[in-house]
Amino acid sequence: MTDDIAFSSIVGLGRLLRQKKTSATELATYFLDRLERVGPRYNAVVTVTRERALAEAAQADRESRQGKWLGPLHGIPYGVKDLLATKGYPTSWGAAPYQQQKFEEDATVVQRLGAAGGVLVAKLAMVELAGGMGYNQPNASFTGPGKTPWNPGYWSGGSSSGPGAAVAAGLVPFAIGSETSGSILTPAAYCGVTGLRPTYGLVSRHGAMALAWTMDKLGPMGRTAEDCAIVLAIIAGKDPRDPSSVDRGFRMPPERTARFRIGIPKGADKDIQPEVAANFRQALKVLEDRVELVEDVELPDLPYGAVAGMIIAAEGASAFDDLLKDGRLSQLTAPEDRTGGYPALAVSAPDYLRALRVRRPMQRALDDFLKKFDALAVPTRTTVATPLDKAFRDGWPGITGGANVIGPTNVVGVPGVSVPNGFGVQGLPTGLSFTTRAFDEAKLVTLARLYQDRTDWHTRRPPVPSP
Amino acid sequence: MELSRRAFAEQLALLAAAPWFVDDLRPVLPHALAQVQAQEPSALAKALAQTISVRYPERFSADDLAAITRSIDNRLRQIDRLYETHVTNADEPDFVYSVYRGDD
Repeated sequence: MTDDIAFSSIVGLGRLLRQKKTSATELATYFLDRLERVGPRYNAVVTVTRERALAEAAQADRESRQGKWLGPLHGIPYGVKDLLATKGYPTSWGAAPYQQQKFEEDATVVQRLGAAGGVLVAKLAMVELAGGMGYNQPNASFTGPGKTPWNPGYWSGGSSSGPGAAVAAGLVPFAIGSETSGSILTPAAYCGVTGLRPTYGLVSRHGAMALAWTMDKLGPMGRTAEDCAIVLAIIAGKDPRDPSSVDRGFRMPPERTARFRIGIPKGADKDIQPEVAANFRQALKVLEDRVELVEDVELPDLPYGAVAGMIIAAEGASAFDDLLKDGRLSQLTAPEDRTGGYPALAVSAPDYLRALRVRRPMQRALDDFLKKFDALAVPTRTTVATPLDKAFRDGWPGITGGANVIGPTNVVGVPGVSVPNGFGVQGLPTGLSFTTRAFDEAKLVTLARLYQDRTDWHTRRPPVPSP
Repeated sequence: MELSRRAFAEQLALLAAAPWFVDDLRPVLPHALAQVQAQEPSALAKALAQTISVRYPERFSADDLAAITRSIDNRLRQIDRLYETHVTNADEPDFVYSVYRGDD
């Protein structure tokens, strides 16, 4: 097989399968080999699930021979961030204390992908405990710092570091990541892939490691917005085992001819890396005949950071209270993570509850604001990826601008998408993000597809050596 | 980019809470951050850190305890903003308790 297979979309691989030009077993074997040979270069993989993958692929091939087609994921390999439970394999949460942890059943998302014919080929690397203990530099996982395939001296982003790097390097056609605050969109931008963060509750969290129960979201990372939409349509929906899940699905949106009204937050491209700013403006220009831009819009002035901080601190300390109690935090990789959970023990219950109460009017205010637009657009990050050997704060000194959208939109749980929109310094990719109201993922997908129909950034390939 | 005191406090809150908001923290200029970090933590922060130290004796080095104290101090600085946002008695926390009755 050629590298073209490695960088094919779900749609493209599905076409090959249906035309009998390849089989699910051949595809699984090909990606398993790539994961084993290339994955370590980027610290992208925790466990290659060869036995399970070959069994699922054989099943998909049997069904194909019987004329059964389960849908667009039938026979398609994929990986999951190693915070999703999978029967028969360890689920490490990226953290040394949990390296050998096993669960008796698959997470709901994995079950749904399996039922749709997907073939699980790997558990992918992540920042330990999804970053919940306050890591402040890239080396924060027992598998080592995630490296972007575009330049392995730089971070792949976090906390879904493995899904970002693995999709970018052509080790999996798509992956499932998670986001509490930035953990899908950031690695999507730093790795030059497409990442979709669904509305809170649209995708079941059952079987996923909890960091902050009221903020955690699971979502797809892939080559295209169309691929992400295909995956979201399968994993979205009510799950009785996750009380926060909602009785809504997701369908691929129809073509839209109306113009999109896009808000650009004040300062979004001011005092950020010049290449990031230029790529952002160029991306908007690509869409100019289909969008009406509203410049310098301002989010309601509310304490997003204070609310997020209080919620993540309190819920994270509770979610990992066993580590705090028995002192196993000391086994974490990042030095700052070894003490990062303890300050949360000083959070008072009334203060935590106050944060949850403030989030109510915050939700209403942000929804009132977002309903004026089809979406907000911002550069996903204000710089390209951080150097591996630098603290985040010191990675790109002198960059002091940008608009804070990832934080507020995660606190209230509305969706976002990041698509690659060019390259900056050191040959590193940059990202364009759209954010919208709760359950308006269809608008995000439509906008992102429109952009990708007119550009080829999502088809660029990093200089990955052949296995 | 110039920051109001309020925006600065918000950025600082983010830093205390979530260092992984990498770029959201850019406005916290290194020298300003260093100034804040150089400030003596409040008596309350020190006392709260002491309770953690008492809860887990002999677990922390002096540097660990200093980091924990700083983190608590940073969070305490943002709590006022939580109470500046108006909520009414009817604004319940955004989770709902449901009573349970199992199978008969």
